[in-house]
Amino acid sequence: MVEEWRLLDTGVHDAFYNMALDEATAVARSRNLVPNTIRFYRWKPSAVSIGYFQSMEDEVDISACESKGVDYVRRITGGGAVYHDYEGELTYSIIIDEGHRLVPKDILNSYEVLCSGLIHGLNLLGVQAEFKPINDIIVGGRKISGNAQTRRMGVVHQHGTILREVDPALMFSLLKVPSEKIRDKLIQSVKERVTSVDLHLGREVSFEELKNVLNEGFEKTLNIKLARGKITDHEKRLTAKLREKYSSKEWNFKR
Amino acid sequence: MGRASYKVEGGKMIKVQLTQKDGKIEEIKIMGDFFLHPEELIEQIESMLVGSPLEEESLMSSISALIEKRRAVLLGCTPRDFAKCIMMASV
Repeated sequence: MVEEWRLLDTGVHDAFYNMALDEATAVARSRNLVPNTIRFYRWKPSAVSIGYFQSMEDEVDISACESKGVDYVRRITGGGAVYHDYEGELTYSIIIDEGHRLVPKDILNSYEVLCSGLIHGLNLLGVQAEFKPINDIIVGGRKISGNAQTRRMGVVHQHGTILREVDPALMFSLLKVPSEKIRDKLIQSVKERVTSVDLHLGREVSFEELKNVLNEGFEKTLNIKLARGKITDHEKRLTAKLREKYSSKEWNFKR
Repeated sequence: MGRASYKVEGGKMIKVQLTQKDGKIEEIKIMGDFFLHPEELIEQIESMLVGSPLEEESLMSSISALIEKRRAVLLGCTPRDFAKCIMMASV
């Protein structure tokens, strides 16, 4: 019997809802109220997320975000600042109990195991992706996906980004740079170090196509069956509550 | 207020902000794009460091001891890197 997991495709939401639902699902999983879950989502408005340990003021140009209508939020996971473009970026999360056969005790190894589904999915598209420790997926030496994990209450919660399109100039207009003088240099270096699915393949890949191959990638490499499911009422209530945390100044500016 | 950034070779970025008094840490924040499991331990590391003398070896060993005691996992940098960056922010 192939193990069945829940697939959530939650479409497009704002940053605060997106982060709140991830945490709500992790809580629900820890209480055994929902099965292991893989979720796909997008961000509208586009948003910058920062890692748990980062300083919002240090990393994000708040006034640039506000004038462009871009949200900013602190994640529950470590790692770096990510620009989640509405058109250019797909986010996934995996929520799985920590004792599961797929989860190595060693956190570094578990990144590689959980990223293998994404890598296989990208390979199906013709993108020859590979894992690069600690937490990246690269193709031809360029980063195409960044991932971050937290472990709480006996649950592993990993989320990450898959770039469909990339615009380094826009990205750096939203992030703080050490000095204006080096802005162009940073943009140039990101152009050399980062790629996207569309850029790599030289064609437009729709979000549907991308989700389908990633779906297949997860099913094959993790040896699971993904069954399209719904958010439970419990998760909905918890998400509404947690959304207040993620949209609060207290949380977002706590470091 | 002292500030420093330190990019670990092949690893992550650490940023430290601190104030000091008589060679000891008065206030401190350790920031960056590293990973620490559990995440909340960073706040405990910071409060433990308040009152500590600015001396790299002792900072390193007390951070390292707390991480070990809590069976925490630090990824992308080491307690030594934290200590180095703290010393950089203190001058």
